[in-house]
Amino acid sequence: MRRPLPIALAVVAIALLVLAPLALNGYVINLLYTTLLSVALAYGWNLISGYAGYFSFGQIAFFGLGAYATGLLVKDLNWEWVLAALAGGGVACALAVPLGYVMLRLRGPFFAMGMFGMAQLVRVLVTALPASGAGAGLYLSPDFNVADAYYWTLAIAVGAIALTFWVDRSAFGLRLQALREDEQVAGTLGVDVTRAKMAAFTLSALIPGLLGGGYALFLTYIEPDAVFSSRLDLQSIVMAILGGVGTVWGPLVGGVVMTQISEALWARFPEIYLMIFGGLLVVLLLLLPRGIVPALSKLLAERRR
Amino acid sequence: MSDSLLVVDDVSLSFGGVRALAGVSLEVRAGEILALIGPNGAGKTTLFNVISGVFRPARGDVRFLGRSIVRAAPHRIARAGIARTYQVVRPFGRLTVVDNVAVGALLHEPTIARARRDAREIVGFVGLDAYADRPAASLTLTQRKRLEVARALALRPKLLLLDEVMAGLTPTEMDGMAEFVLRLHERGIAAVAGVEHVMRLIMRISDRIVVLDAGKLIAQGTPEQIRRDPAVIEAYLGAPLGDG
Repeated sequence: MRRPLPIALAVVAIALLVLAPLALNGYVINLLYTTLLSVALAYGWNLISGYAGYFSFGQIAFFGLGAYATGLLVKDLNWEWVLAALAGGGVACALAVPLGYVMLRLRGPFFAMGMFGMAQLVRVLVTALPASGAGAGLYLSPDFNVADAYYWTLAIAVGAIALTFWVDRSAFGLRLQALREDEQVAGTLGVDVTRAKMAAFTLSALIPGLLGGGYALFLTYIEPDAVFSSRLDLQSIVMAILGGVGTVWGPLVGGVVMTQISEALWARFPEIYLMIFGGLLVVLLLLLPRGIVPALSKLLAERRR
Repeated sequence: MSDSLLVVDDVSLSFGGVRALAGVSLEVRAGEILALIGPNGAGKTTLFNVISGVFRPARGDVRFLGRSIVRAAPHRIARAGIARTYQVVRPFGRLTVVDNVAVGALLHEPTIARARRDAREIVGFVGLDAYADRPAASLTLTQRKRLEVARALALRPKLLLLDEVMAGLTPTEMDGMAEFVLRLHERGIAAVAGVEHVMRLIMRISDRIVVLDAGKLIAQGTPEQIRRDPAVIEAYLGAPLGDG
């Protein structure tokens, strides 16, 4: 089945985002960068939490790990930043395999809390290393171009969406959704649940791991609070939930809607914008408990009848 | 014994001091329909859980096609050729009926398109065509029972464990299910049907009957033998057998 319109739309959107740094000012580029970053993080989270149903509050650990790995490789070993950022993704995966093997035995709130605790532990361990400047952080050379971080993050965001698009239509994705609905039944229907969960968890670590390196370049200064940021973690989770958990377009739609609302409010009500924003989120989620994308597709399906 | 498909050998399992299974041994022969009968709590579902790898017994062995499967993960047992249904139906509620069945079909059809094609055929076979693309959560109980069977069939099993497939069905629906089990028989698929009551229907379709009571095997034999067995009559408190 060919659908030329969505493909054309995607091509135009990507082209505009690629050209954006040439035409727009620093403020807008920073805003675009942080939006892309949160959206891409939301896509990473969506694989393990949306498709496999393992709600994690700790994926930011892989982001921080990627940032520190990249920072150290660039600073101490003079690696090319692209290679260092790729290695950051590798480090995240290397941790995800043993961690997932243990943590994915937990379910529901126990997994969510366990991952939150693991993220704190990873943060403490990484920042305790003398090489990572302990609590003081790491200064990178300030000559890094913000555009590099931007393009890196754009590429990973597009890659994460493409990956999710594939997962949603694949046998792998069907197995994940089956185990999300009922893990025991999925097992007796021939699904190797451990393998499927591990694969989803590792992909969910790879994406933040790769993004961390770009963020290190963007900040040029790495410190624990900035890269193991609970705010960034929560923000991306809320984006995915608002847009629709376990859907292809949910994190993107949620991310765009949230950033737009946040910017509009911030400009008009600088003192109380967070209060209004919080209230608005509560109302939106009460009205659309499963998120924007499932609500829209339901509406479209009803129209068609 | 040469044609035995499944051998359950002296299996015991307790839950917090309650003996769910106490030294149960039985065999299922290739292509036969075996009824597993016993009152509520007799251990039928526990035995199905042991055979399908959901529980690991404290003692004893389970062999399928001559190989021990007692320590194997559930998905390996499914791949070996044992499929089961659940007494309390457990559809993947948010997935469509076809996708519910396609999960099992992936075992033999590596691509999702072929697994779905396979699934659609099986969905038709159990008479759910009209609901194929609806979410499974929208099905009625009877339809969910059929979906359970469809999902199990998608594994192309050699042995099908049916946990209380008759429960909650109207007499007409029970006849339909019995017909269905007999059709499996024609296809050479062995079935173990766990049922609470010794119904005339079960008597008619099963080759052999095994009776469990309080985790113990108290009788086994042909339907005729079971009907006259004093231990069975005792277990059912003298309830008239073969009726209902």
